[in-house]
Amino acid sequence: MAQTVQATKNIKQFLGETGELSYFAGRFFKEFLKPPFELKELLRQCYQLGNRSLVLVLFTGFIIGLVLTLQSRPTLIQFGAVSMMPNMVGISIVREIGPVITALICAGRIASGIGAELGSMRVTEQIDAMEVSGTNPFKYLVVTRILAATLMLPILVVFGDLVALYGSALVENLKGNVSFQLYFNTVFDALSYGDLVPATIKSFFFGFVIGLVGCFKGYYSKKGTAGVGIAANTAVVVASLLVFLVDFIAVFVSDIFYEL
Amino acid sequence: MAKTTLENLKLGIFVILGTVLLLVAAYLIGNRQNMFGETIPISAVFKNANGLQNGNNVRFSGINVGTVNKIEMVNDTTIRVHMIIAEKMQQHIKKDAVAMIGSDGLVGSMLINIVPGKGNVTTIGPGDELRSLSKVATQDMLSTLNVTNENAALLTEDLLKVSRSLTTGNGTLGLLLNDTEMADNLRQTLINLKNTSEQANAAILELNEIVRKVNFEESTAGILLNDSVSALKMRNIITHLETSSIAIESTAKNLNAVVAEIQQGDGAINTLITDTVLASQLKNTMRNVDQGVERFNENMEALKHNFLTRGYFKKQEKEREKEERKAQKERQ
Amino acid sequence: MEPTENIAVQTASVDQKKVVIDIRGLRKSFGENHVLNGFNMRLYEGENLVVMGKSGSGKSVMIKCLVGLMQPDSGYIEVLGKEIKTLDRETLDVLRSDIGFLFQGSALYDSMTVRENLEFPLRRHKEKIGQTGSTESRVLEALENVGLAHTVDLMPEELSGGMKRRIALARTIILKPKIILYDEPTSGLDPITSKEIIELMRSIQKKYRTSALIITHDVDCARVVSERMILLVDGTNYAEGTYLQLSSSEDPKVEAFFKK
Repeated sequence: MAQTVQATKNIKQFLGETGELSYFAGRFFKEFLKPPFELKELLRQCYQLGNRSLVLVLFTGFIIGLVLTLQSRPTLIQFGAVSMMPNMVGISIVREIGPVITALICAGRIASGIGAELGSMRVTEQIDAMEVSGTNPFKYLVVTRILAATLMLPILVVFGDLVALYGSALVENLKGNVSFQLYFNTVFDALSYGDLVPATIKSFFFGFVIGLVGCFKGYYSKKGTAGVGIAANTAVVVASLLVFLVDFIAVFVSDIFYEL
Repeated sequence: MAKTTLENLKLGIFVILGTVLLLVAAYLIGNRQNMFGETIPISAVFKNANGLQNGNNVRFSGINVGTVNKIEMVNDTTIRVHMIIAEKMQQHIKKDAVAMIGSDGLVGSMLINIVPGKGNVTTIGPGDELRSLSKVATQDMLSTLNVTNENAALLTEDLLKVSRSLTTGNGTLGLLLNDTEMADNLRQTLINLKNTSEQANAAILELNEIVRKVNFEESTAGILLNDSVSALKMRNIITHLETSSIAIESTAKNLNAVVAEIQQGDGAINTLITDTVLASQLKNTMRNVDQGVERFNENMEALKHNFLTRGYFKKQEKEREKEERKAQKERQ
Repeated sequence: MEPTENIAVQTASVDQKKVVIDIRGLRKSFGENHVLNGFNMRLYEGENLVVMGKSGSGKSVMIKCLVGLMQPDSGYIEVLGKEIKTLDRETLDVLRSDIGFLFQGSALYDSMTVRENLEFPLRRHKEKIGQTGSTESRVLEALENVGLAHTVDLMPEELSGGMKRRIALARTIILKPKIILYDEPTSGLDPITSKEIIELMRSIQKKYRTSALIITHDVDCARVVSERMILLVDGTNYAEGTYLQLSSSEDPKVEAFFKK
């Protein structure tokens, strides 16, 4: 009995949270369209979320490209298809691994960062202070951050993809004596707009959910320093989950569009 | 303020670089699909598109010259493939060039190969339709092989039935087998038949194996067929498969005929049995009887010298000598 | 239960003065917890009113309802002749520019320098600067008022707690508000720093002739600053009077506040 009650409570909480998040997203679109626009803060956030995440994304992307190629080599050699490496790695990175890994890295860095920042601002009444000094904190803090995350993530994905491909090409160059030119020629030969376009669109959504969840968790953070920690933590967890959910939906949708 | 300016500068570099990279990637991809630059449309008609897709490459003498941009089903046996090719390649492609659907390497995507014609004719123009050449599809070959295989299986069944009835001694042949000399003849025939059927069986097994393998790597085989490098190899294999299948078919036909004749009870074997074979057999029997009589005489002679019977024969001799002496005495 | 009537309001002049804040029958509850239970209060122009209460007695909730940071469940709130509930966002922002709010934990924006912190309220209220002044001069003036002009380019994290509070005070007065609301102005500070802050509050009031509503549980602070006091007990105004009147009261609940 007690379990059922607990389960009902959990489901209610989950649905409530989903509703609140949806409302939060709706508020974003409402406020996003209304002036005044906090352009300066937007640029600052773009710098904070974009440039500051670049090194991390470059590093992870490079390692992923390297590892993916090294791990696939033996199998491809077994099938005598090692020359298909650029096609395989290229498509999997551009379509899936690049955007998703970048998004997860950003979920870890950006969502937790925003969650902690807004959470501590909430706890120390900075958000209230903003409100009473005539600045809409939702506009100033939330809209700029969500927008910055949405805009920056696709760019980060481009960089991530590039270094991942470079890492892969490096392995092929050193182990397989494939020139960089041949490698990238093959990659771009294998790729089509059907790979690049949905992945790029998907990245915008990744950025959006990361920013949204980070802001949501931080903005409605509970009182006290523990609240900040919880905000940052749940922001990462929920953002990562939503990234996968968005990815799943994106694959579905792009399948519909590109299977015609 | 200086800090903000620097940040904005870095951000600008970051965003512009990212966007440029994305656009370059998009351009490179588009370039590969001939989305930029002057192109002309051409088409070719095929019976089977073999999995060709929009965006697949079009090659002329092995060089990428364009892409497939539309595949249109005209009617149930006609597929029109529209391609766009680079305008600068137009001068090299003559009207007698032949379009073929092939594949890029072992596991690569499908593509259209345009092979230059031999004649000296004018170059193609926009909207022209190229002649096409449909290669024998692997699938068709495989289905032929399958039919042959089934036939062979039926044949072995028949052969098994025949051989079983032969061994159990039923029917004309079985009865005949019980005859001494004629049996040899028939037995030989039977052995030959058995050998043939065994060979047929083995061949069928082999065929099965081949068919299984071919089916398993259907795509590979299909692709191999169209690949320029490995084409010859694979084509040889297929030719062998075809010839062996034909051979098996003819063997099967022959065997079928033989079996049918045996079952119907007329034809070569029966004639042989009724005429020549039986006659010689009878002759042989007669000779055997003769030999038997002769041998009986010999045996009788041998018995005379045997130690068991020697006493009897000696007694007989003594009696005879006694009688002779008696007779001599009487005469004296 | 009408303790307000028992202790007569001594300052006779107050009655003729203009009422700047009028609260009547304010109620607010969080679930089962009824924080405010029919609170009444009037703040007169130029007056220093201290509202004292234990932690969690609803002082902060009351002050937040005043500036529209929280919505009361019921009750009437009028600030500078305008009923808060009826105001739209624009008018509320304009009204808020006449109300200074010093937050409990200073609530300085961590990501901004002292200068940016002070400039922040001016972003939306440029009209307050006037024709002659500039943002820069206003910032420096406010900083000089709190004696911290040299910290203008520092980050909040580089400042001590007392300095932060003074910067926060400077930020509160930068719009030259008519009313200043102090939420626990001396909380978390050592007695000497507290005294400095109290002195500052007095000097600022003298200089700008503001009305002040001070929320505190610090008796020393109340003694120095208050002209009139309201004791908030069980969500309602339990007693009212000057510091002397209340500190000499024999009511056990009132006495409890002044016991050392």
